[in-house]
Amino acid sequence: MNEGIAGKLAKQFINSKITPLLMVAALLVGIMATFMTPREEEPQIVVPMVDLYIPYPGATPAEVESRVAKTVERTLTEIPGVDYVYSTSMPDFAVVTVRYKVGEDAEKSMVKLWSTLMKNMDKMPAGVQFPLMKKVSIDDVPVLNLTFWSKTKDPFQLRKTAVEVADELKKIKNIGDVDIKGGLKRQVKIVLDKEKLRQFNVSPLQIARQVQMANSQMTAGDFKQMNEEIIVRSGRFLESASDVGNIVVGIYGASPVYLRDVASVVDGPEEVSNYNFFGWAAAAPNGSPSGEYPAVTLTVAKRQGSDASKLADKVLARVNELKKVSIPSDVTVSETRNYGATATDKVSTLLEHLLMAVVAVTVVVGFFLGWRGALVVLASVPITFALTLLIYYLLDYSLNRVTLFALIFVTGIVVDDSIIIAENIHRHFAMKRQPKLQAAITAINEVGNPTILATFTVIAAVLPMVFVSGLMGPYMSPMPIGASLAMIFSLLVALIATPWLSFRLLKTEEGHHEEYDIAKTGYYKLFNKILSPFIESSFKRWIAFGVVGLMLVGAIALVPMKAVQMKMLPFDNKNEFQVIVDMPEGTALEQTARVTKEISAYLKTVPEVLSYQYYVGTNAPINFNGLVRHYYMRQAKNMGDIQVNLVPKDERKAQSHDIAKKVRAGVQQIARRYNANAKIVEIPPGPPVLSTLVAEIYGPSQVQQIALAKQVKKIFEETPGVVDVDWMVEDDQKVYDLVVNKERAAFRGVTAEQIAQTLRMSIAGMDVGVLHTDKELDPVTIQVRLPQSDRTSLHDLSGIFVQSQGMGTLTTRLRAGEMIPLSELVKVEEKVQEKSIYRKDLRRVVYVTADVAGATESPVYAMLNMDKQIEKLKVPGGYSVSPLYTAAPTSDDKLAMKWDGEWQITFEVFRDLGTAFAVVLVIIYLLIIGWFQSFKTPLIMMIAIPLSLVGIIPGHLLHGAFFTATSMIGMIALAGIMVRNSVLLIDFIQIRRAEGADLKQAVIESAAVRTRPIILTSGAVVIGSIVMLFDPIFQGLAISLIWGGVLSTILTLVVVPIVYYIVEKKSTKP
Amino acid sequence: MSMDIKKRFVFLLVAIPLLVAGCGNHEQELKKSRPQELPVAVAGVPVRTAVETGGGEVLLVPLSAIFRKGELTGIFVVGADNRLTVRWISTGRSMNNNLVVLGGLDKGEFVVGTYRSALEEGVTVIKSVTAEDQTHE
Repeated sequence: MNEGIAGKLAKQFINSKITPLLMVAALLVGIMATFMTPREEEPQIVVPMVDLYIPYPGATPAEVESRVAKTVERTLTEIPGVDYVYSTSMPDFAVVTVRYKVGEDAEKSMVKLWSTLMKNMDKMPAGVQFPLMKKVSIDDVPVLNLTFWSKTKDPFQLRKTAVEVADELKKIKNIGDVDIKGGLKRQVKIVLDKEKLRQFNVSPLQIARQVQMANSQMTAGDFKQMNEEIIVRSGRFLESASDVGNIVVGIYGASPVYLRDVASVVDGPEEVSNYNFFGWAAAAPNGSPSGEYPAVTLTVAKRQGSDASKLADKVLARVNELKKVSIPSDVTVSETRNYGATATDKVSTLLEHLLMAVVAVTVVVGFFLGWRGALVVLASVPITFALTLLIYYLLDYSLNRVTLFALIFVTGIVVDDSIIIAENIHRHFAMKRQPKLQAAITAINEVGNPTILATFTVIAAVLPMVFVSGLMGPYMSPMPIGASLAMIFSLLVALIATPWLSFRLLKTEEGHHEEYDIAKTGYYKLFNKILSPFIESSFKRWIAFGVVGLMLVGAIALVPMKAVQMKMLPFDNKNEFQVIVDMPEGTALEQTARVTKEISAYLKTVPEVLSYQYYVGTNAPINFNGLVRHYYMRQAKNMGDIQVNLVPKDERKAQSHDIAKKVRAGVQQIARRYNANAKIVEIPPGPPVLSTLVAEIYGPSQVQQIALAKQVKKIFEETPGVVDVDWMVEDDQKVYDLVVNKERAAFRGVTAEQIAQTLRMSIAGMDVGVLHTDKELDPVTIQVRLPQSDRTSLHDLSGIFVQSQGMGTLTTRLRAGEMIPLSELVKVEEKVQEKSIYRKDLRRVVYVTADVAGATESPVYAMLNMDKQIEKLKVPGGYSVSPLYTAAPTSDDKLAMKWDGEWQITFEVFRDLGTAFAVVLVIIYLLIIGWFQSFKTPLIMMIAIPLSLVGIIPGHLLHGAFFTATSMIGMIALAGIMVRNSVLLIDFIQIRRAEGADLKQAVIESAAVRTRPIILTSGAVVIGSIVMLFDPIFQGLAISLIWGGVLSTILTLVVVPIVYYIVEKKSTKP
Repeated sequence: MSMDIKKRFVFLLVAIPLLVAGCGNHEQELKKSRPQELPVAVAGVPVRTAVETGGGEVLLVPLSAIFRKGELTGIFVVGADNRLTVRWISTGRSMNNNLVVLGGLDKGEFVVGTYRSALEEGVTVIKSVTAEDQTHE
């Protein structure tokens, strides 16, 4: 008997002393790697994203769009690696967001962006200021949020405490950005007194200039004398409010006018700019205070590649120490986000699941092969996983839910190689035809080479999934990589360790010495009974094929019948969700705070809610979803965010998605009362998108686009299951446009700039410098402003004066310093604020967004429903708009609509997975051709692939689950497993025929002999997958593997031998 | 060291719900019965409007009704269900014992006329409407 690679390897290692050492070494490095690999909940995603803020003061959105946004966009799309360019043109400035392709190097991307932008700065119109570039990356998402709240302290004091703590925390290794949300900063306020300004003949601009000039200090140089250098320094920084108050700002009569004479200088909290509160809710521990308290949130981000849980532990330990030193006893620090803990939690749950899967598989093996066989298989799993974990560590992967799921997913598959080898050794030991060592090597020789082939078919099945592109890529790629690695290691383990273990552990049964006869085994009898009728009667055969065919058609028909719905990913069970409150543009901060508070008060009563924080006027700490959706820009007065923390998963029955669905009605009822738009935002299970449902509306003009968007929005609102409908068109906001009367201004020696600055200083306030004090960690700004009570209406503006520049301007005969009332120089025009212009990939677009919940959970079906309505819409021009699915329209001449949001990713993922599946089939076909040297045999083997659908689709119906991307992965992987079963089956038929057996005999014998390993390996896959059934996201994968596995195994064992028989009989007859 | 803290945290997380479950019933009742405490009587004052010198309409609340928490200005509002809620408002100038409200309140809402530190959010009160002589429109 000639030996294959498998046999040679086995011979080398079966009695070698090095084998156990290798096993132990593999285990040790694996354990080390497990502890050294950083742990995270979500996979690491590198999506370089850069926000460019380009100020263009005074310009209207249309101007900003045509002069700035368009130019910048056009140049930026030239950069290689850029995926999308978005822009928003607002009055006075543009925000351009560049998103690179997933996986592009962040630093290189920044350099490319910078150089392209600089190259084109000369094309910018005059008046455009220097752009601000901000890189946004996943590491900006805080991993730990600590909310400081107190019954007695106010936001100013809370912020001061938080800043002190933040300063200490910064010293911790591996800490990233530490930020503080909310609270009020210390500020020196110069509150102008209009009456006194007029009385002392001082203008606000004059004050600003004097303060700026007084706040300087400089080293003037040095004197050299007697071999000594003496430093000369002059000027002095402003160090306190009284320093500021003592600045001379003018002269009145013969005496100086001090700043304190014309304004009150207050050192204290800045004017209220945000309302942040913390409150315990219904599920709070007993004894928790029931009110809501001013709060400040300290957010901690981690450095790239570091372990979130280790960092969180260090930070919490440090905070505990600081409680004795710098945190007052009446300030409570509550942990309102800890991704470290959730990551550890998730990772340990998954490790637990992994263990359960391994144990379950071992039990199954034990059932068939006895405890000794089970032990052999059990020993091979940790070695395989240890090596895979080592590779994870070396490849800089983190332990997250995707990488670990890759391991659980392959648990059932990696034991297969060992099972096949151990089983065959077991069988040969039982046959007792040869001495023990010889029997083992023969056994390995017999199945070794098909095992290698089988392993490669499974790898061929999963590996093409690496090519899933876009945002979903990082969620998917660890699966095929992890699984392929594990498969290769399992093969090595099966060929090296398993024979060694089997040889020592498996016993040849003593006692009865009867000759092994296959015809006497139960399996043979069974298959003889099942297969013989079909082999002998072609009529029965065709009936059998007909039944299988019908089952297949029936199963596939379930999809168009909507009995099984497609969705990209189902919702995960998380411990938090957010409520996003948008008031109409132009709503006062306090009104927004009031609505947000009322919604919070409702959420407080929900039994599963542990605590909540709301943030008005400043954004809530972002998560990955918020990062992509630009929630960090939610800092306007009409926006409020509520962070809702639920009790831990294991203490509640309801899934977070169900809770979110339940509270939606209550939240929106309150919101509607105040004309607000409230959305429930859950953490998406996969890559985040702007919104689940997005309709992008393109067209020739903004007016037409908005008109169509309005109609589309209405259809959204009327469609059941479509919720949280919103659009990105601002409400009308009143604007008082103060138009400068140019003649009059010139005649009085006042420039337009002076007027604009004076107005800005009076209303918005102007920072004129910083206080130079070393005690304060946050910079203390000095701000000039009118008191709130003096800037509430147009009437108040009458008391503001500007100073004439005098004869120096050449347009006036007035003397310099003459006070001119502002009301004399401007005319008020009431207008509506112009709307922002959104662009995506060089096109104007209006977005209508929504989510799906309740009646339809999958956006695709909602989209198909709404398509019919949208096509009926009347648009000017008389044509109908039929929504596009895959690409934006090619021209803007006509109104058009494209679906985006989750659909876009779903489309990309299923497209890529579909392509991967096709590639898989071709590779498998090629592999088997190479092995069997036949074009026909591979086709017979691949019959098993479509048969898996008979199990997969009804399986989803049975569980009431969506057919998701993970289901698709399961299906693809199953193709590999099923072909492997066929390979083992047909390989044995050919061996038997080569030994001279009759075709029918060979077919039945092969089915009988191979049933045990096939059922064992498939059983291992099925059993190993059961733990995955309880994970919301990977449920689909489990269903595919379990039901597809069971059904196609049974069918394979019957259909493949029969088909092989027919084909071979035909070819041997002539 | 860090493991130690983690363990303590886990212990805390486990211990708190256990404690709650352990001594639950009695305390739970207490918590629930609180809103049924004897209602406090307060003088409810409606938010009024007045015409400003400039011609615009403004909202007014009594000076005595507001309280301050640092830079925040608050007022107790009596809701339709006679429950007290804290409302954060922004205020402008004062007009004889009244304060102009710039944001956070609606016309016709009832506020507690005189702030007392004993007032608490969420408490049900008996509202007695006082018709103070105010500047009428």
